[in-house]
Amino acid sequence: MSAIALEGIEKSFGATRVLGGVDLDIRAGEFLTLVGPSGCGKSTLLRILAGLEAPDRGRVLIGGAEVTGLRAAARNLAMVFQSYALYPHLTVAENMMTPLKLRDLPRAARLPVLGPLLARDRYRALRAEVDRTARILKIEPLLDRKPGQLSGGQRQRAALGRAMVRNPVAFLMDEPLSNLDAALRVHMRAELSELHRRLGTTFVYVTHDQAEALTMSDRMAVMQDGAILQTGAPEEVYADPDSLDVARFVGSPAINILPGRIDGTGGLGALGTALGRFRTTDAQKVAIGLRPEHLSLAPAGASGFEGAVRHRENLGADVFLHVDVEGIDRPVVLRTTPTETRDLAIGAAVGIDADARAALVFDETGRRLRFEAAELVRIA
Amino acid sequence: MASRAHLWFVAPALILMVLILLLPIALAGALSFTDYSLGNSGASFVGTENYERIFTRSTYEKMFIATFRYVGVVVPLSVGLGLGAALLIHSLTRFGALYKTIYFLPVMAALIAMAIVWEFALHPTIGIVNATLERGCGTFLEAWPWYAKGCDRTFPLWLTDRDYAIWTVAFIGVWQAFGFNMVLYLAGLTSIPRALYHAAEMDGATSGWDRFRLVTWPMLGPTTVFVVTISIIRSFQVFDTVEAFYPQGGGPSKSVYVMMFAIYEKAIQQNLMGIGAAITMIFLVFVMVLTLIQRWLVERRTHYG
Ligand SMILES: Nc1ncnc2c1ncn2[C@@H]1O[C@H](COP(=O)(O)OP(=O)(O)OP(=O)(O)O)[C@@H](O)[C@H]1O
Ligand SMILES: [Mg+2]
Repeated sequence: MSAIALEGIEKSFGATRVLGGVDLDIRAGEFLTLVGPSGCGKSTLLRILAGLEAPDRGRVLIGGAEVTGLRAAARNLAMVFQSYALYPHLTVAENMMTPLKLRDLPRAARLPVLGPLLARDRYRALRAEVDRTARILKIEPLLDRKPGQLSGGQRQRAALGRAMVRNPVAFLMDEPLSNLDAALRVHMRAELSELHRRLGTTFVYVTHDQAEALTMSDRMAVMQDGAILQTGAPEEVYADPDSLDVARFVGSPAINILPGRIDGTGGLGALGTALGRFRTTDAQKVAIGLRPEHLSLAPAGASGFEGAVRHRENLGADVFLHVDVEGIDRPVVLRTTPTETRDLAIGAAVGIDADARAALVFDETGRRLRFEAAELVRIA
Repeated sequence: MASRAHLWFVAPALILMVLILLLPIALAGALSFTDYSLGNSGASFVGTENYERIFTRSTYEKMFIATFRYVGVVVPLSVGLGLGAALLIHSLTRFGALYKTIYFLPVMAALIAMAIVWEFALHPTIGIVNATLERGCGTFLEAWPWYAKGCDRTFPLWLTDRDYAIWTVAFIGVWQAFGFNMVLYLAGLTSIPRALYHAAEMDGATSGWDRFRLVTWPMLGPTTVFVVTISIIRSFQVFDTVEAFYPQGGGPSKSVYVMMFAIYEKAIQQNLMGIGAAITMIFLVFVMVLTLIQRWLVERRTHYG
């Protein structure tokens, strides 16, 4: 097992700058997720790590050794592609045997018909490897089928099997779950985490779905426009984002952003309501982020914010209430319980309580402001 | 009571197929058992005499030999060269379109016009081919006995030499056909997902040959079946080159007497409809068998679903 490091990776396609100096350290054995909106350069970064694409500048290190100039086949990494990229003319077993054959067998033993006859023992050993992997992934009954005869989930497993048969330094996965239906996706999340614990190999996982990043990874790196905005454990990134972009991207439903300001005495206010006091005297406009779980329902007229119910999003255990508040373009979303909102009609006037201690404050450029708070109040 | 509506839907297609496909074939089949000739009021039934003649007379033996030689050369070479050219052009980052156009030119050019050029180039005395060959005399090339013999006496007469004629015509056939196959292969190549090559690289396919074996060739399977079938059928149908070079007779000692030309000569020139129809039926059987093999291959072996 070895750590992987990317240092100052830059990449442009023609005039388009896709990656602008990305640094990333991946610890040995961890499950790291690269997450970001579509087109931010995640796949490109992963392909550079794999060696399928050459960076314009920067270095790739695996286990401390530089591999920037090394071709993909020589890096001993395994990749699971979004489209699975299984060889359609080969059965699942043959697909899984391909990397073993290409790496472990001499050219003569790879001849179409003669090879298996000449090196029968070796083929038997490879087949045993394949069977062992198939058992782990529970795809033994599928081994003799061709990819065209498999369902999406089964194909995904076969692709995983092909990556797993040889012991690679790390698994690279580019949105491997995006072609699956919702239920299977949730199931496979758990299964991949389980597999990671079992194998103990480094996983580098690319996704645009922040929920996958939050649920599966040891650490996640949030990317945007070809740069990594923040790296950290999912809880940390969720609760303590460094920038407005990260706060907006992570979490579903998305964080509520209220326009606010800090006055000359450090008083923080939003929509005419005082939220607390900072030990600062720089008066400025700020954006205040409040997650749905930090807002709660209050009787109309009794609290700081008021609005009209616009939409009731029922998820069974939770109900997310979308409330139009004057002075904010997008509806404020708050998490409530079904009992609380049973009698609320669309258009009803409601009050909103905010747990101001959980508020995340960002300056006008989107940077997080971490002042020491003299008092942040729970207004009710 | 069952509705008859379905008949109304099927009928137009069925009638058309019978009229323009099955009826003419049936007519030709019927004619092949007679000695009918155009203009004669009567025709008498001659049984399998026409077929017996085809399989016993030396003229027709020559016809089969010429046809199979032509098909045997043109199909593998035009398919192989088409694939090779497609692979080369596909790997180019620039000028690909230019080469594509150049190689495709022979396909578009009218072969009758091109035949004049070839006839000129292959002319034994003033042709560019033999003139070029003569330049090589006196160099190391003479170490090759065939070449030395050419220098000693004369180089082959190509189109008018009994031993060379069919191969020369086949060469021109390859020249004309491979551009078409190349275009088909290029289309096949562009449809191979790039991810498969990436997967092959990750799996350790480091040489071009490994990638070809693992991805390119299998993925071109359906294209190849189609290209080979089309090439065989088109080679069986070769006519215009032979007609252009040898308007009467099918070449020196009938060495280029291919099937289509035989049909033309018998049925049209000599007005022997019966025998012409019989050759046509044999030709149809060949094509039918090929088509069945192709269907079987497509369904069994290259259908990846
Ligand atoms: N081969 C290429 N040539 C030109 N531009 C490319 C190429 N590959 C990627 N790009 C561009 O680079 C940018 C980043 O692409 P990339 O595939 O890395 O995005 P991504 O983050 O993986 O997005 P997604 O979530 O949609 O897969 C995109 O704007 C894309 O248009
Ligand atoms: Mg991508």
